[in-house]
Amino acid sequence: MTRFSRRLFTAALGAALTTGALGAWNAPALAQQPGSVITVATIGEPPTLDPVGTTSDLVSIITQHVFETLFTFDKDWQLQPLVASALPQVSADGKTYTIPLRSGVTFHDGSKMTAEDVVASLDHWTKASPRGKTVAPLVESIAAKGADSVVITLKEPFAPLTALLAMNNGAAAIVPKSVIDGANPLKSLVGTGPYKLLEHKPDQYIRLVKFDGYASPTGPASGYAGSRVAKIGEVRFVPVPNAATRVSGVLAGQYQFADSLPAEALGRFKGVAGVQPVIVKPFGFPLMIMNNKTGVAANQKVRQAVLAALEPNDMLLAGFGDPAFIAPEGSIYAQGTPYYDAASAKPYGEHGLSKATELLKAAGYKGEPIRIMTSVQYEFLYKMSLVAQAQLEAAGFKVDLQVLDWATLLQKRGDEKAWDAFFTYHTFVPEPSLITFINPSYPGWWDSPAKKEALAAFNREMDPAARKAKWVELQKLFYSEVPTIKIGEFYNLAAASDKLTNYTPTPWPFFWNAELKN
Amino acid sequence: MFVYIVRRLAGMMVVMLIVAAVVFVIARVVPGDPAAVMLGASATPEDIAALRTRLGLDEPLLAQFLLYLGQIARFDLGDSIFLNRPVIQALAERSELTGLLTLMSVGIAVLIGVPVGILSAAKRGRWVDQTALGLAMLAASVPSFWIGLTLIKYLAVDLTWFPVAGYGAPDASLGERLRHLVLPAIALGIPNSALILRFTRTSMLDVLGDDYVRTARAKGLPPRVVVLKHALRNAMIPILTVIGLTAAVMIAGAIVTETVFGLPGVGNLIVSAVLRRDYPVIQGALLVVSAIYVLINLTVDLLYAVVDPRVRY
Repeated sequence: MTRFSRRLFTAALGAALTTGALGAWNAPALAQQPGSVITVATIGEPPTLDPVGTTSDLVSIITQHVFETLFTFDKDWQLQPLVASALPQVSADGKTYTIPLRSGVTFHDGSKMTAEDVVASLDHWTKASPRGKTVAPLVESIAAKGADSVVITLKEPFAPLTALLAMNNGAAAIVPKSVIDGANPLKSLVGTGPYKLLEHKPDQYIRLVKFDGYASPTGPASGYAGSRVAKIGEVRFVPVPNAATRVSGVLAGQYQFADSLPAEALGRFKGVAGVQPVIVKPFGFPLMIMNNKTGVAANQKVRQAVLAALEPNDMLLAGFGDPAFIAPEGSIYAQGTPYYDAASAKPYGEHGLSKATELLKAAGYKGEPIRIMTSVQYEFLYKMSLVAQAQLEAAGFKVDLQVLDWATLLQKRGDEKAWDAFFTYHTFVPEPSLITFINPSYPGWWDSPAKKEALAAFNREMDPAARKAKWVELQKLFYSEVPTIKIGEFYNLAAASDKLTNYTPTPWPFFWNAELKN
Repeated sequence: MFVYIVRRLAGMMVVMLIVAAVVFVIARVVPGDPAAVMLGASATPEDIAALRTRLGLDEPLLAQFLLYLGQIARFDLGDSIFLNRPVIQALAERSELTGLLTLMSVGIAVLIGVPVGILSAAKRGRWVDQTALGLAMLAASVPSFWIGLTLIKYLAVDLTWFPVAGYGAPDASLGERLRHLVLPAIALGIPNSALILRFTRTSMLDVLGDDYVRTARAKGLPPRVVVLKHALRNAMIPILTVIGLTAAVMIAGAIVTETVFGLPGVGNLIVSAVLRRDYPVIQGALLVVSAIYVLINLTVDLLYAVVDPRVRY
């Protein structure tokens, strides 16, 4: 080796050793985390931190620590009070809700919550929230009754009201009157939750710190309900769009919790000390929304033929790979939830090519292409759509599968002439009226006379047992009119550090009551 | 020289105006609605229409374009629809990370590519040269995201020598932030070093074949002096060009590496803006990136005069 090349080799070796030293120095510090901070890796940057105007699940995961609603749900998805001190007193005609409020509730700006703040918050919700706007036409008045309760008077009975008031997105968040500006976004992010917003650097982190003035509801913790104690000093949400990086980060200890991991990552946690996989059930269900208004899918028999042609288990396996993460469940609500009913979902399992072909013939199908929109941005939807395409073609459909980016799909689905079906998914919601395709103005436009009547009867029914019966009727109609194909259930994979204790797996993970062991 | 610089800067203005117009049109021609993306999949058409009005997205295109041109004239790039802050602020917040990552990765690419390229040229045909060319081909073929994921697996997860992702805690020191950039810089630097290596080798081979180099050898000068003092300087111009181009591309082109390592850089900002249809960010960021590209090219051209005294403007 010449002297020149020896010097070059020495320089390169020195650079490598320096890089290694830079990494190895402080390595023990990197593996440790400060005792009162947890870092939570999420799927990306939330579009806003105002929970009122959006139904984004990512927004609710973060902001539910900061904002609270009058009610919430316990582990059995039953309604419980949160900012309210008790469940509402409902008049015999179902039109008047008297809601008692807890005393001593303090906002993050130090001011005490009053009945006027609650009235202003609810009024804002009816103007700014997609959920509130569905309620607004039914509201006669919202007013304070004394200093410690509010009264909502409706024009007609509407049983889903309290569930809508309990949702943590499109949320009826209780905020100071001073931060409300008509139907516009909140002027500042001040709530009543166990955590308050300290700092937000878009695409880097959102820092929530313990609010010392927090007034917790009483009672044992159950789901989102009951006592809430901020035992961790700071919850730091970091957007990590790449799923593989979220997996690596939680394995390395950089994150104490990583949400929405790919099903195939489950094997990476086997035998690994310090990290546990968390499978969340129920979580969501993929859908093939049909266009009930215009085009080839507006024909009910064509939609029934689609249902008969599809083999949901094959689609679910293609989308998720691991049977541990799926269930070919036809009931719109999964087992273990109040609205589960298998009997009325029987047509889900009745599929077959010959049945599909007969239905197509009876529909007078002449070979028009069925335009199906899908997106690779949600890989599981894309994979399921490929299987669906093959199954439909085998049954005699001519399929035009359009692969679009998500933003384009969202825009195009608003044009009733542009599509016949599109793939999407729905996360679990505790109340049926929160399901998107139940809303007649949601793309798909399921608005038959029978459905209008069944939905109105369901919404007017105040008795829980009778409501369940009416939901079953609506589900029967769902399977006879087939406005949408429910493909099945899927579960979410998350991962948590062993140091994170007392954590409750839920569709919208929360970290009050959780602790970080040293 | 001064007149040359002024002429180049004037040309830059024309380039940026063209970029501004093209980006504006393309961003709006592509289907997709920022209001729909912001409100989520369960938004109704009425909600979307209301938000579009609030954001001014329902104004005629010409009105939006004139407003946009007026803002640019005042050096105002508008406000991000999603980030709720001025585009300039969003870019400034990411400039430190992108600047440091570019410097580090270009540094790694140059530190590997130039010396190995020189050695490869000096030892043409020998095992050193063959090995260097083989490694360069491998480095150019392997995708940067694969390099990144491999580095994460072994150096971050298994050995915990480096962080997996991100740019450090809110109160992280500069040293800690630089540590977060080591693996991404290596992932970016290795593929780019291959290009620099090959350009350096080719340029050096051209020069090493010249008569004056033969004369220098004949005079008995040591090989190191012949290569580094006499040949390299004459070979520097194409090498400088490719280094400049590499740096310019990395400003916004490190998107895959930024995604793998969860880095909130400029590339990530642009791609997120495209996916969300955040028009002001798409327009503003591309305008700034094109300006930086032109400035880097100008700097490289000026450096020619430093490296080669025969070059005069």
